[in-house]
Amino acid sequence: MSGTEEKAAPLLSIRNVYKSFGLNEVLKGIDMDVMHGEVLALIGGNGAGKSTLMKIIMGIYTHDKGELLFRGEEIVQTRGTAAALAKGIYMVPQEPLLFPNMTVEENILIGFTQSKAELHKELVDTMEEIGWNLDLSRKASSLSIAEQQLVEILRGILRHAQLLILDEPTSALTFDEVKSLFRCVSDLQAKGIGIIYITHRLAEVFEIATHVAIMRDGMITIQGPVDGFTREDLVKGLLPPDAELTKHAGAASVKNVDYSAAPVLELKNFSGFGFSDISLKVYPGEILGVAGVVGAGRTEMATTIFGMDKVLGGSVLLGGTDITGRKTKQVIAAGLNYVPEDRHLNGLFKICDVAANTTSSALFSKMMGNLFLNRKMEHDVTQKYVDSFRTKVTGHDQLTGSLSGGNQQKIVIGRSLSTTPKIVILDEPTRGIDAAARGDVYSIIHQLREEGVSILLISSDMEEIMELADRAVTMYQGRINAEFRNDDINQDNLMAASFGILEGGADA
Amino acid sequence: MNKTKKIFKAREMTSFLFLMGLFIIVGILNPSFMSVNNVAACFNTSVVYTLVAVGMAFTIFVGEIDVSVGSNLGFVATVVGSLLRDGANWGFAFTVGIIIGVIIGLINGWGVAIMKVPSLIFTLGTNGILRGMMYIYTGGAWVENLPKSFKDFSAVTLIGKFTVYYCCAVILVVLIHMALTRTRRGRYFWAVGDNAGGAELVGIPVVRTKVMAYVICGILSAAAGIIFCSRIGFVTSASGNGYEMKAVAACVLGGISLTGGVGTVIGAAIGAVIMASISYLLVFMGFSSNYDNAITGIILITIVVFDALMQRRAAVKNRRARLVARTAAGTAKEAGE
Repeated sequence: MSGTEEKAAPLLSIRNVYKSFGLNEVLKGIDMDVMHGEVLALIGGNGAGKSTLMKIIMGIYTHDKGELLFRGEEIVQTRGTAAALAKGIYMVPQEPLLFPNMTVEENILIGFTQSKAELHKELVDTMEEIGWNLDLSRKASSLSIAEQQLVEILRGILRHAQLLILDEPTSALTFDEVKSLFRCVSDLQAKGIGIIYITHRLAEVFEIATHVAIMRDGMITIQGPVDGFTREDLVKGLLPPDAELTKHAGAASVKNVDYSAAPVLELKNFSGFGFSDISLKVYPGEILGVAGVVGAGRTEMATTIFGMDKVLGGSVLLGGTDITGRKTKQVIAAGLNYVPEDRHLNGLFKICDVAANTTSSALFSKMMGNLFLNRKMEHDVTQKYVDSFRTKVTGHDQLTGSLSGGNQQKIVIGRSLSTTPKIVILDEPTRGIDAAARGDVYSIIHQLREEGVSILLISSDMEEIMELADRAVTMYQGRINAEFRNDDINQDNLMAASFGILEGGADA
Repeated sequence: MNKTKKIFKAREMTSFLFLMGLFIIVGILNPSFMSVNNVAACFNTSVVYTLVAVGMAFTIFVGEIDVSVGSNLGFVATVVGSLLRDGANWGFAFTVGIIIGVIIGLINGWGVAIMKVPSLIFTLGTNGILRGMMYIYTGGAWVENLPKSFKDFSAVTLIGKFTVYYCCAVILVVLIHMALTRTRRGRYFWAVGDNAGGAELVGIPVVRTKVMAYVICGILSAAAGIIFCSRIGFVTSASGNGYEMKAVAACVLGGISLTGGVGTVIGAAIGAVIMASISYLLVFMGFSSNYDNAITGIILITIVVFDALMQRRAAVKNRRARLVARTAAGTAKEAGE
């Protein structure tokens, strides 16, 4: 009815939105508009604040300051998604949240108030109109990820959503599935629906988006129609304004790595679930950075080396010995240890004390005693790492769950070293810890290097890789696509390669 | 036709065939079992299990559990029994019993859904409290000398050899099943257990649905307590002990998954008949009823372990398929260029 007027006004307009979690300011004044029929690609590194912003739009979080208008009305901040759904905003999460034991139809129609027959007809009509074919009586657990996303999108359409948020919809899709998803995005766009399309893949921006916005560090750095930008512009938007394009001078390696020596760790065409055909070498006393975006397959590579998942091909050589497919216990014994990405989920025994945590990895070796624990050894080992890492604890009997994130991380690193490994894989070692602790972790890493321990450093923080790594590789969609040395390890190169723009080496 | 096919594919059909098989095997081992009276007795004795199992099914649907059902049943039986013994009229005594069930359900729902205490622990606590209250209420004495009319009513039959109680239970189960499958809110119970995060995202009131499940479980356990009182004719301090395991086993036997979101109340009811039949059939197979609990436990563990293995395998498979799809995008691109 008032369609023409509505089209002129923005569908969603966000003005000066702020959000903090405790002392951590996640959103620092966001301004953004989405029009009818616009596909806005939202790009940003990990921790840029994209998901926080989306959760605020959906009503899962409340913002501290600022204004959100949807079709000219203030979005009332209630706890929960009901208000956003009623207004016509729908978010398709990255991993679809379907009910696996229900049929497709039940999944789509649940939560509606109209009669079932009416809804069924509307659903069939809608599917016909868009030209999608989905067997409505299939169980959701039998659907592929792409089909699950279609189900999610149908949920949104049937709710007459005017704004659809797609959170990295292509991250788990195959090539053909991506194509069919793009087709339906264009269909929806033609119907005047506004779409926020979150992605890590810059190539997709130019393929389907009409507009683009880049978020970095809680702010929007670049915003406007896609035609106005090149890929290089976008990469620049992802970088901090004062980005030093070269490696920190101070951190430049004092000690030169001997690349003629035999590598400590060598991967030969190593393949597994989530990564494929990885070949790399880590030399004695070297810090090799592995950059990339979340989902690039880095963690899967590390856990597979560590014996936690099945190897699909290739081999892992540790100091010349083949350790491919060995059990975790044997891998540790062979001289490799892994500090996991999520220390809460995989790393820490929170309700155990500091001493028990530090030495838990060494329990298998005879060092800690045969049947009974060698208490003195436990004390000595714990004290060594508490001292050398400057971990702030009240005593060895303090529960690790009560330590700060940075100190917890030091305990986990200490534990992995208590097995005296030749090489340690650190997976996102400084995620979620404060600046001071970060500095401590960095000096621990340098210290290790001095002692001749090699380190495989997985990090999504490009500055961290620049600061620490002697050499860096990037992973993109499950494979290594670039390698950089010395001055070429800069944010520009790493970012471009992580997003799949740059391939090969620095001069490629 | 499509509909009959669907009925035969249903998980509860397997349970029903299992029950029939059980009857046939026992009939072959001991032909004296094969009489209308005996088969009807299997169904009639299952009425208490049926109500408790259906109540339990609700809490399992939403992904939780209620192990306080046995003491709930016992406590309500104690209170209702003593009221009737002291001359209260039936309507009043029953109402008090059901109100107790509602209150227990609300307390369990509050603890689990609102305070977010793990359901096994919270209901274990209420189980202890209720059992303790039974002792305090009776001083350890039995509740006996119930009105004869109340006791005799348990033997009154309605259709053929089936008692009024069992017929009512069957009608109730069918009505609950229809309410669950035919109404919008009915589906919420499964949705919450299937994927609580997803339920939240489509606007389903997760907390309210869980509380509701506990209240229904409390009411049905209370009703089971009243019927227990009528059928057995007396209540001891141990009455209702172990019914939580029977109820969980009945649910699992009836095709309900302990992870939530799967199964039907019809399945739970069939499972309850199987549980009752096993106790009854042991006699015909020449075993003492001492074996009853051990057999129930073995059945429960066997099915649950099998189910868990299947689910884990499916989860690993899905995760790997997702990861492979990620790298496949890279492979396709590489091949294209």
